Amino acid sequence: MAKKILRCTVNGRQIELAVAPNQTLVQVLRDELNLTGTKVGCDMGTCGCCTVHINGKAKLSCLTLALECQGAQITTIEGLNQYELHPLQKAFAEKGGSQCGFCTPGFIMKSAALLAENPAPSREEIAAGLSGNLCRCTGYVKIYDAVEQAAQEMQRAEAPAPAPART
Amino acid sequence: MGYDYIRPASLEQALSLAAQGESALIAGGTDLLVALHKKKRPAPGRLISIRSLPELAGIRDEGARLRIGAAVPLADLLAHPAQARLPALAKALGVMGSRQIRNVATLGGTLCNASPGADAAPPLLALGAGVELAGPAGRRTLDLAEFFRGPGRTALQPGEIMTAVLVPWPGAGTQSHFLRRSRVAMDIATVSLAACFGLTNNRLSGVRLAAGAVAPVPLRLRATETFLEGKALTDETLAEAAKLARADVAPISDLRGTAWYRRELVGVFLARALRAGNGGKP
Repeated sequence: MAKKILRCTVNGRQIELAVAPNQTLVQVLRDELNLTGTKVGCDMGTCGCCTVHINGKAKLSCLTLALECQGAQITTIEGLNQYELHPLQKAFAEKGGSQCGFCTPGFIMKSAALLAENPAPSREEIAAGLSGNLCRCTGYVKIYDAVEQAAQEMQRAEAPAPAPART
Repeated sequence: MGYDYIRPASLEQALSLAAQGESALIAGGTDLLVALHKKKRPAPGRLISIRSLPELAGIRDEGARLRIGAAVPLADLLAHPAQARLPALAKALGVMGSRQIRNVATLGGTLCNASPGADAAPPLLALGAGVELAGPAGRRTLDLAEFFRGPGRTALQPGEIMTAVLVPWPGAGTQSHFLRRSRVAMDIATVSLAACFGLTNNRLSGVRLAAGAVAPVPLRLRATETFLEGKALTDETLAEAAKLARADVAPISDLRGTAWYRRELVGVFLARALRAGNGGKP
């Protein structure tokens, strides 16, 4: 089938690309744009490995036709924080929230969407928020620890600097 | 699996494209794309994307009822203040897929897919919801109970598009409950049941019951409803109602459960839903 032109923004960069109607977003990200941080696990919407942000919402790039992203703002793991590690990435590394690492980009993108909506989630809210992502290594405990730590750190960074002590 | 893709700008354009045949409609695509890419269904000539059509968007309080655009994603409906007045529906939406799926999957899509176990169907049936369909011959509305015709089959005529789901607001004092059993999280229901009713001085009124995954279509339990209307909520009533409910359904045995288990669970869920009306745990 004839290709069509897709225009969208990926990690802040304007993209213009000819894509086939049946190409999924993850295929375009990985195979055309060389953004291989986004992983393909099940390729049928079950595992969450391919989670990216489309217009700020966590969605599955394996279940999204690339052409559905006409004009959209897309963020992948590569664009989460371009110049230094995002607090989530740092926390996943420090807490051991990642073993083989295959599910990690999806977990981090979903966690980032969760924290944008709910900056101080309870342990239960973290578990519910990440229920669409599967990890076959960690048993989830360290992943939830990492998200808790990142949430605290991001809140500290957001909080206004304490007023200078009076003497 | 080569197919073309087209995104019409209006419902009118979408209808004229759909009338040409050789096409399939795509909204959220969370079921359709898996089926196409895993070759579980033949590729259509083209996909007509209806997810961004303005006529299928938005959630609106129309006074007596809530109008939900067919292409509204489940997560948007769950985030809308209206969901607080429809607790059984909200509970069902909350277990559908993952958050990533709910950000994309639409209410109209899950109904048009017509899976016997679609979680949104029993609460909508028990609420007395209708659907609005647009086609070459104009618009019509249909009771949701008339919409489902078989597994994967609906009353949609060729070229017709579901535009909205219409949910009458439950009357004051009406309670609604949703119960569901599946093997694991994010799995298709083995059995689901929704109940709407009023309970004053231990007497039932306005009873509407619906069950999923226990027949070729999600269905109202009409004989059980008729029996329960005006009855006092007693152990005897519950036992008799459970018996009738088990006769109202026609389940199959599959990998999720046997027909016997499903029939049994319909009775159990019904009793739990009604007991919840008196402060019991659903």
